[in-house]
Amino acid sequence: MTRQNAVSHGLETRMGRLLIALTYVSVAILVVGVVLMAIDGVSPLDGGPKFDLGAIPSQVAAFAPVGFLWVGLLAVISAPISRVVGAAIGSARSGDRWLVVVAIAILLVIAVAVATALVAGS
Amino acid sequence: MVGGGAAAGVFGSLLGLGGGVLIVPLLTLGFGLPLREAVGVSLVSVIMTSSAAAGVYLERHVANLRLGMTLELFTATGALIGGSIAFLLDDRVLAFAFAGLLAYVAISMLRSRTAETATADDVEGTADPSDPPAIATAAGSIVGDLSGPGYRVGRLKVGVVGSIGAGIASALLGIGGGTIKVPLMHLVMGVPIRVATATSNLMIGITASASAVIYLFRGEIDPFVAGPTAIGVFMGATLGSRLAHRVDLRVLRLLFVAVLLYTALQMLLRAVR
Repeated sequence: MTRQNAVSHGLETRMGRLLIALTYVSVAILVVGVVLMAIDGVSPLDGGPKFDLGAIPSQVAAFAPVGFLWVGLLAVISAPISRVVGAAIGSARSGDRWLVVVAIAILLVIAVAVATALVAGS
Repeated sequence: MVGGGAAAGVFGSLLGLGGGVLIVPLLTLGFGLPLREAVGVSLVSVIMTSSAAAGVYLERHVANLRLGMTLELFTATGALIGGSIAFLLDDRVLAFAFAGLLAYVAISMLRSRTAETATADDVEGTADPSDPPAIATAAGSIVGDLSGPGYRVGRLKVGVVGSIGAGIASALLGIGGGTIKVPLMHLVMGVPIRVATATSNLMIGITASASAVIYLFRGEIDPFVAGPTAIGVFMGATLGSRLAHRVDLRVLRLLFVAVLLYTALQMLLRAVR
Protein backbone atom coordinates (compact mmCIF):
# COMPACT_ATOMS: atom_id res chain seq x y z
CA MET A 1 0.00 0.00 0.00
CA THR A 2 1.42 3.40 -1.01
CA ARG A 3 1.60 6.21 1.53
CA GLN A 4 -1.17 8.04 -0.34
CA ASN A 5 -3.40 4.95 -0.27
CA ALA A 6 -2.72 4.47 3.44
CA VAL A 7 -3.70 8.08 4.12
CA SER A 8 -6.84 7.68 1.97
CA HIS A 9 -7.68 4.51 3.94
CA GLY A 10 -7.67 6.40 7.25
CA LEU A 11 -9.61 9.29 5.77
CA GLU A 12 -12.26 6.93 4.36
CA THR A 13 -12.77 5.37 7.80
CA ARG A 14 -13.21 8.75 9.46
CA MET A 15 -15.53 10.05 6.75
CA GLY A 16 -17.60 6.85 6.91
CA ARG A 17 -18.07 7.22 10.67
CA LEU A 18 -18.95 10.90 10.28
CA LEU A 19 -21.64 10.11 7.67
CA ILE A 20 -23.19 7.34 9.75
CA ALA A 21 -23.23 9.49 12.91
CA LEU A 22 -24.81 12.47 11.10
CA THR A 23 -27.43 10.24 9.50
CA TYR A 24 -28.53 8.83 12.85
CA VAL A 25 -28.58 12.30 14.42
CA SER A 26 -30.75 13.63 11.59
CA VAL A 27 -33.12 10.63 11.81
CA ALA A 28 -33.48 11.19 15.57
CA ILE A 29 -34.32 14.87 15.11
CA LEU A 30 -36.81 14.09 12.33
CA VAL A 31 -38.49 11.45 14.51
CA VAL A 32 -38.98 14.09 17.23
CA GLY A 33 -40.54 16.39 14.62
CA VAL A 34 -42.87 13.69 13.29
CA VAL A 35 -43.94 12.65 16.82
CA LEU A 36 -44.72 16.31 17.60
CA MET A 37 -46.67 16.48 14.33
CA ALA A 38 -48.76 13.52 15.46
CA ILE A 39 -49.31 15.02 18.94
CA ASP A 40 -50.42 18.33 17.41
CA GLY A 41 -52.68 16.53 14.92
CA VAL A 42 -50.84 17.92 11.89
CA SER A 43 -51.42 16.01 8.63
CA PRO A 44 -48.58 15.77 6.11
CA LEU A 45 -50.99 17.11 3.51
CA ASP A 46 -51.86 20.23 5.53
CA GLY A 47 -49.17 22.17 3.67
CA GLY A 48 -46.14 23.27 5.64
CA PRO A 49 -44.54 26.72 5.84
CA LYS A 50 -41.80 27.83 3.45
CA PHE A 51 -38.23 27.56 4.67
CA ASP A 52 -37.22 30.49 6.88
CA LEU A 53 -33.85 30.04 8.54
CA GLY A 54 -34.37 32.91 10.98
CA ALA A 55 -37.61 31.45 12.36
CA ILE A 56 -36.17 28.03 13.23
CA PRO A 57 -34.68 28.85 16.69
CA SER A 58 -37.97 30.22 17.99
CA GLN A 59 -39.88 27.27 16.49
CA VAL A 60 -37.56 24.82 18.24
CA ALA A 61 -37.78 26.76 21.52
CA ALA A 62 -41.58 26.58 21.26
CA PHE A 63 -41.42 22.81 20.58
CA ALA A 64 -43.20 23.38 17.27
CA PRO A 65 -42.92 20.28 15.04
CA VAL A 66 -41.88 22.34 12.04
CA GLY A 67 -38.77 23.61 13.89
CA PHE A 68 -37.50 20.09 14.54
CA LEU A 69 -38.39 19.01 11.01
CA TRP A 70 -36.37 21.89 9.52
CA VAL A 71 -33.37 21.14 11.77
CA GLY A 72 -33.59 17.44 10.83
CA LEU A 73 -33.87 18.21 7.11
CA LEU A 74 -30.93 20.63 7.31
CA ALA A 75 -28.94 17.93 9.08
CA VAL A 76 -29.77 15.45 6.29
CA ILE A 77 -28.74 17.86 3.54
CA SER A 78 -25.59 18.97 5.35
CA ALA A 79 -24.31 15.42 6.08
CA PRO A 80 -22.61 14.92 2.69
CA ILE A 81 -21.40 18.53 2.75
CA SER A 82 -19.84 17.92 6.18
CA ARG A 83 -18.13 14.86 4.72
CA VAL A 84 -16.56 17.05 2.01
CA VAL A 85 -15.44 19.61 4.63
CA GLY A 86 -13.96 16.77 6.68
CA ALA A 87 -12.20 15.37 3.63
CA ALA A 88 -10.77 18.82 2.85
CA ILE A 89 -9.37 19.18 6.37
CA GLY A 90 -8.03 15.61 6.47
CA SER A 91 -6.46 15.96 3.03
CA ALA A 92 -4.88 19.31 3.91
CA ARG A 93 -3.26 17.73 6.98
CA SER A 94 -1.87 14.85 4.92
CA GLY A 95 -0.70 17.14 2.10
CA ASP A 96 -3.06 15.68 -0.52
CA ARG A 97 -3.43 18.83 -2.60
CA TRP A 98 -5.65 17.22 -5.25
CA LEU A 99 -8.37 16.27 -2.78
CA VAL A 100 -8.16 19.68 -1.09
CA VAL A 101 -8.67 21.45 -4.43
CA VAL A 102 -11.52 19.12 -5.39
CA ALA A 103 -13.22 19.51 -1.99
CA ILE A 104 -12.98 23.31 -2.12
CA ALA A 105 -14.36 23.30 -5.68
CA ILE A 106 -17.31 21.13 -4.56
CA LEU A 107 -18.04 23.50 -1.67
CA LEU A 108 -17.92 26.43 -4.09
CA VAL A 109 -20.49 24.72 -6.33
CA ILE A 110 -22.76 24.22 -3.29
CA ALA A 111 -22.28 27.89 -2.34
CA VAL A 112 -23.22 28.97 -5.88
CA ALA A 113 -26.32 26.73 -5.68
CA VAL A 114 -27.40 28.42 -2.43
CA ALA A 115 -26.70 31.90 -3.84
CA THR A 116 -28.59 31.11 -7.06
CA ALA A 117 -31.60 29.88 -5.10
CA LEU A 118 -31.56 32.90 -2.79
CA VAL A 119 -31.38 35.34 -5.68
CA ALA A 120 -34.10 33.53 -7.65
CA GLY A 121 -36.31 33.16 -4.57
CA SER A 122 -36.13 36.83 -3.53
CA MET B 1 -46.77 8.76 4.15
CA VAL B 2 -44.31 7.05 6.48
CA GLY B 3 -45.69 3.70 5.24
CA GLY B 4 -45.39 4.73 1.60
CA GLY B 5 -41.84 5.92 2.16
CA ALA B 6 -41.05 2.64 3.95
CA ALA B 7 -42.42 0.62 1.02
CA ALA B 8 -40.31 2.66 -1.40
CA GLY B 9 -37.29 2.13 0.85
CA VAL B 10 -37.79 -1.66 1.09
CA PHE B 11 -38.27 -2.13 -2.66
CA GLY B 12 -35.47 0.28 -3.51
CA SER B 13 -33.09 -1.52 -1.20
CA LEU B 14 -34.08 -5.02 -2.40
CA LEU B 15 -33.77 -4.07 -6.04
CA GLY B 16 -30.71 -1.85 -5.78
CA LEU B 17 -32.61 1.25 -6.83
CA GLY B 18 -32.47 4.66 -5.24
CA GLY B 19 -35.70 5.67 -3.57
CA GLY B 20 -36.28 8.56 -5.99
CA VAL B 21 -37.62 6.39 -8.79
CA LEU B 22 -40.37 5.27 -6.40
CA ILE B 23 -40.92 8.29 -4.16
CA VAL B 24 -41.73 10.80 -6.90
CA PRO B 25 -44.57 8.67 -8.39
CA LEU B 26 -45.78 7.85 -4.86
CA LEU B 27 -46.08 11.51 -3.91
CA THR B 28 -47.45 12.76 -7.22
CA LEU B 29 -49.78 9.94 -8.24
CA GLY B 30 -50.56 8.68 -4.72
CA PHE B 31 -50.81 11.91 -2.70
CA GLY B 32 -51.45 14.46 -5.44
CA LEU B 33 -48.39 16.61 -4.76
CA PRO B 34 -47.02 18.87 -7.52
CA LEU B 35 -44.16 17.17 -9.32
CA ARG B 36 -41.52 19.77 -8.38
CA GLU B 37 -42.40 19.50 -4.69
CA ALA B 38 -42.20 15.69 -4.92
CA VAL B 39 -38.76 15.99 -6.52
CA GLY B 40 -37.54 18.18 -3.62
CA VAL B 41 -38.82 15.70 -1.01
CA SER B 42 -37.35 12.80 -2.96
CA LEU B 43 -33.92 14.44 -3.01
CA VAL B 44 -33.94 14.66 0.81
CA SER B 45 -34.87 10.96 1.10
CA VAL B 46 -32.20 10.01 -1.42
CA ILE B 47 -29.54 11.89 0.58
CA MET B 48 -30.58 10.15 3.78
CA THR B 49 -30.37 6.61 2.41
CA SER B 50 -27.20 7.27 0.45
CA SER B 51 -25.42 8.81 3.45
CA ALA B 52 -26.10 5.78 5.62
CA ALA B 53 -25.02 3.34 2.91
CA ALA B 54 -22.00 5.41 1.83
CA GLY B 55 -20.81 5.60 5.44
CA VAL B 56 -20.76 1.81 5.67
CA TYR B 57 -19.08 1.47 2.26
CA LEU B 58 -16.37 3.95 3.28
CA GLU B 59 -15.72 2.20 6.58
CA ARG B 60 -15.34 -1.10 4.72
CA HIS B 61 -13.11 0.59 2.09
CA VAL B 62 -15.30 -0.57 -0.79
CA ALA B 63 -15.91 2.95 -2.14
CA ASN B 64 -13.13 4.86 -3.90
CA LEU B 65 -13.15 8.22 -2.08
CA ARG B 66 -10.67 9.93 -4.43
CA LEU B 67 -12.53 8.91 -7.58
CA GLY B 68 -15.90 9.64 -5.99
CA MET B 69 -14.93 13.13 -4.88
CA THR B 70 -13.38 13.92 -8.25
CA LEU B 71 -16.50 12.87 -10.15
CA GLU B 72 -18.93 14.39 -7.68
CA LEU B 73 -17.47 17.80 -8.46
CA PHE B 74 -19.03 17.31 -11.89
CA THR B 75 -22.26 15.66 -10.71
CA ALA B 76 -22.71 18.61 -8.31
CA THR B 77 -22.12 21.03 -11.21
CA GLY B 78 -24.71 19.11 -13.23
CA ALA B 79 -27.09 19.26 -10.26
CA LEU B 80 -26.64 23.02 -10.06
CA ILE B 81 -27.53 23.31 -13.74
CA GLY B 82 -30.45 20.85 -13.45
CA GLY B 83 -31.77 22.47 -10.27
CA SER B 84 -31.90 25.81 -12.06
CA ILE B 85 -33.46 24.39 -15.23
CA ALA B 86 -36.14 22.53 -13.22
CA PHE B 87 -37.81 25.82 -12.28
CA LEU B 88 -38.02 26.90 -15.91
CA LEU B 89 -39.73 23.75 -17.11
CA ASP B 90 -43.43 22.98 -17.09
CA ASP B 91 -44.61 20.17 -14.79
CA ARG B 92 -45.77 18.24 -17.84
CA VAL B 93 -42.28 18.26 -19.35
CA LEU B 94 -40.89 16.89 -16.10
CA ALA B 95 -43.64 14.24 -15.96
CA PHE B 96 -42.78 13.21 -19.52
CA ALA B 97 -39.07 12.97 -18.64
CA PHE B 98 -39.91 10.94 -15.53
CA ALA B 99 -42.04 8.54 -17.58
CA GLY B 100 -39.02 8.06 -19.86
CA LEU B 101 -36.80 7.41 -16.85
CA LEU B 102 -39.18 4.78 -15.44
CA ALA B 103 -39.35 3.00 -18.79
CA TYR B 104 -35.54 3.09 -19.03
CA VAL B 105 -35.15 1.61 -15.52
CA ALA B 106 -37.74 -1.09 -16.27
CA ILE B 107 -35.98 -2.11 -19.48
CA SER B 108 -32.57 -2.01 -17.75
CA MET B 109 -33.90 -4.33 -15.03
CA LEU B 110 -35.20 -6.77 -17.62
CA ARG B 111 -31.90 -6.70 -19.47
CA SER B 112 -29.86 -7.10 -16.29
CA ARG B 113 -31.58 -10.46 -15.70
CA THR B 114 -29.69 -11.86 -18.65
CA ALA B 115 -26.46 -9.99 -18.00
CA GLU B 116 -26.46 -10.85 -14.28
CA THR B 117 -24.74 -14.18 -14.66
CA ALA B 118 -22.00 -12.75 -16.79
CA THR B 119 -21.20 -9.90 -14.44
CA ALA B 120 -21.83 -11.44 -11.04
CA ASP B 121 -18.23 -12.42 -10.49
CA ASP B 122 -16.75 -9.49 -12.34
CA VAL B 123 -14.57 -7.66 -9.88
CA GLU B 124 -11.78 -6.77 -12.23
CA GLY B 125 -13.51 -4.07 -14.23
CA THR B 126 -13.87 -3.93 -17.97
CA ALA B 127 -11.40 -1.35 -19.19
CA ASP B 128 -8.93 -2.52 -21.75
CA PRO B 129 -5.68 -3.08 -19.83
CA SER B 130 -3.80 -1.57 -22.74
CA ASP B 131 -5.65 1.72 -22.31
CA PRO B 132 -3.39 4.40 -20.95
CA PRO B 133 -4.30 5.38 -17.40
CA ALA B 134 -6.40 8.52 -17.45
CA ILE B 135 -4.55 9.96 -14.52
CA ALA B 136 -0.84 10.20 -14.06
CA THR B 137 0.27 7.79 -11.38
CA ALA B 138 3.78 9.10 -10.83
CA ALA B 139 4.62 10.03 -7.27
CA GLY B 140 4.20 13.72 -6.69
CA SER B 141 1.56 14.10 -9.37
CA ILE B 142 -0.92 16.83 -8.47
CA VAL B 143 -3.85 14.71 -9.51
CA GLY B 144 -2.60 11.55 -7.87
CA ASP B 145 -4.02 8.15 -8.52
CA LEU B 146 -7.75 7.67 -8.86
CA SER B 147 -7.40 3.95 -9.45
CA GLY B 148 -7.73 1.30 -6.77
CA PRO B 149 -6.29 -2.09 -5.95
CA GLY B 150 -6.64 -4.41 -8.96
CA TYR B 151 -8.07 -1.91 -11.42
CA ARG B 152 -7.15 1.20 -13.34
CA VAL B 153 -9.57 4.01 -14.02
CA GLY B 154 -9.87 4.86 -17.72
CA ARG B 155 -11.71 7.31 -19.98
CA LEU B 156 -11.95 10.05 -17.39
CA LYS B 157 -13.19 12.63 -19.91
CA VAL B 158 -16.23 10.49 -20.73
CA GLY B 159 -16.72 9.99 -17.02
CA VAL B 160 -16.72 13.75 -16.45
CA VAL B 161 -19.32 14.39 -19.18
CA GLY B 162 -21.48 11.48 -17.98
CA SER B 163 -21.26 12.75 -14.40
CA ILE B 164 -22.56 16.17 -15.42
CA GLY B 165 -25.45 14.42 -17.19
CA ALA B 166 -26.16 12.30 -14.10
CA GLY B 167 -26.22 15.45 -11.97
CA ILE B 168 -28.70 17.18 -14.28
CA ALA B 169 -30.98 14.12 -14.30
CA SER B 170 -30.78 13.87 -10.52
CA ALA B 171 -31.80 17.49 -9.99
CA LEU B 172 -34.59 17.42 -12.56
CA LEU B 173 -36.16 14.14 -11.50
CA GLY B 174 -35.27 13.78 -7.81
CA ILE B 175 -33.25 10.62 -8.26
CA GLY B 176 -29.82 9.64 -7.02
CA GLY B 177 -28.58 9.01 -10.54
CA GLY B 178 -27.07 5.62 -9.75
CA THR B 179 -28.73 4.20 -12.87
CA ILE B 180 -26.38 6.42 -14.87
CA LYS B 181 -23.29 6.52 -12.64
CA VAL B 182 -22.87 2.81 -11.99
CA PRO B 183 -22.86 1.75 -15.68
CA LEU B 184 -20.69 4.78 -16.48
CA MET B 185 -18.03 3.85 -13.95
CA HIS B 186 -18.23 0.11 -14.49
CA LEU B 187 -18.66 -0.26 -18.23
CA VAL B 188 -16.93 2.90 -19.45
CA MET B 189 -14.28 3.68 -16.86
CA GLY B 190 -13.38 0.12 -15.89
CA VAL B 191 -14.25 0.32 -12.22
CA PRO B 192 -15.30 -3.03 -10.66
CA ILE B 193 -19.07 -3.26 -10.16
CA ARG B 194 -18.94 -3.41 -6.35
CA VAL B 195 -16.64 -0.38 -6.19
CA ALA B 196 -18.76 1.46 -8.79
CA THR B 197 -21.94 0.82 -6.78
CA ALA B 198 -20.33 1.95 -3.51
CA THR B 199 -18.69 5.00 -5.08
CA SER B 200 -21.95 5.97 -6.81
CA ASN B 201 -23.67 5.83 -3.42
CA LEU B 202 -21.05 8.15 -2.01
CA MET B 203 -21.50 10.62 -4.88
CA ILE B 204 -25.30 10.64 -4.60
CA GLY B 205 -25.18 12.59 -1.33
CA ILE B 206 -23.35 15.62 -2.71
CA THR B 207 -25.17 15.46 -6.04
CA ALA B 208 -28.56 15.53 -4.34
CA SER B 209 -27.43 18.11 -1.75
CA ALA B 210 -26.40 20.56 -4.48
CA SER B 211 -29.91 20.50 -5.94
CA ALA B 212 -31.75 20.02 -2.62
CA VAL B 213 -30.47 23.40 -1.36
CA ILE B 214 -31.97 25.01 -4.47
CA TYR B 215 -35.36 23.36 -3.85
CA LEU B 216 -35.13 24.23 -0.14
CA PHE B 217 -34.35 27.92 -0.55
CA ARG B 218 -36.96 28.26 -3.30
CA GLY B 219 -39.65 26.90 -0.99
CA GLU B 220 -40.26 23.61 -2.80
CA ILE B 221 -39.61 21.33 0.18
CA ASP B 222 -42.59 20.87 2.50
CA PRO B 223 -41.31 19.83 5.95
CA PHE B 224 -44.58 18.06 6.80
CA VAL B 225 -44.16 15.81 3.76
CA ALA B 226 -40.36 15.50 3.72
CA GLY B 227 -39.97 14.51 7.38
CA PRO B 228 -42.32 11.50 7.46
CA THR B 229 -41.28 10.37 3.97
CA ALA B 230 -37.55 10.49 4.77
CA ILE B 231 -38.04 8.53 7.99
CA GLY B 232 -40.15 5.94 6.15
CA VAL B 233 -37.57 5.54 3.40
CA PHE B 234 -34.76 5.20 5.94
CA MET B 235 -36.64 2.52 7.92
CA GLY B 236 -37.64 0.71 4.71
CA ALA B 237 -34.10 0.74 3.31
CA THR B 238 -32.76 -0.64 6.61
CA LEU B 239 -35.38 -3.40 6.60
CA GLY B 240 -34.80 -4.13 2.91
CA SER B 241 -31.08 -4.70 3.40
CA ARG B 242 -31.92 -7.35 6.04
CA LEU B 243 -34.58 -9.05 3.89
CA ALA B 244 -32.48 -9.22 0.75
CA HIS B 245 -31.24 -12.77 1.25
CA ARG B 246 -34.73 -14.12 2.12
CA VAL B 247 -36.57 -12.88 -0.95
CA ASP B 248 -36.67 -14.37 -4.44
CA LEU B 249 -35.39 -11.32 -6.27
CA ARG B 250 -36.15 -12.71 -9.75
CA VAL B 251 -39.89 -12.81 -9.07
CA LEU B 252 -39.78 -9.50 -7.24
CA ARG B 253 -37.89 -7.90 -10.12
CA LEU B 254 -40.42 -9.06 -12.72
CA LEU B 255 -43.28 -7.81 -10.57
CA PHE B 256 -41.51 -4.55 -10.13
CA VAL B 257 -40.88 -4.10 -13.85
CA ALA B 258 -44.65 -4.36 -14.35
CA VAL B 259 -45.22 -1.73 -11.62
CA LEU B 260 -42.62 0.57 -13.18
CA LEU B 261 -44.18 0.29 -16.64
CA TYR B 262 -47.66 0.94 -15.24
CA THR B 263 -46.33 3.98 -13.34
CA ALA B 264 -44.56 5.21 -16.48
CA LEU B 265 -47.89 5.05 -18.30
CA GLN B 266 -49.59 7.03 -15.52
CA MET B 267 -46.85 9.66 -15.66
CA LEU B 268 -47.19 9.83 -19.41
CA LEU B 269 -50.94 10.38 -19.06
CA ARG B 270 -50.24 13.14 -16.52
CA ALA B 271 -47.88 14.74 -19.02
CA VAL B 272 -50.36 14.80 -21.91
CA ARG B 273 -53.48 15.78 -19.94
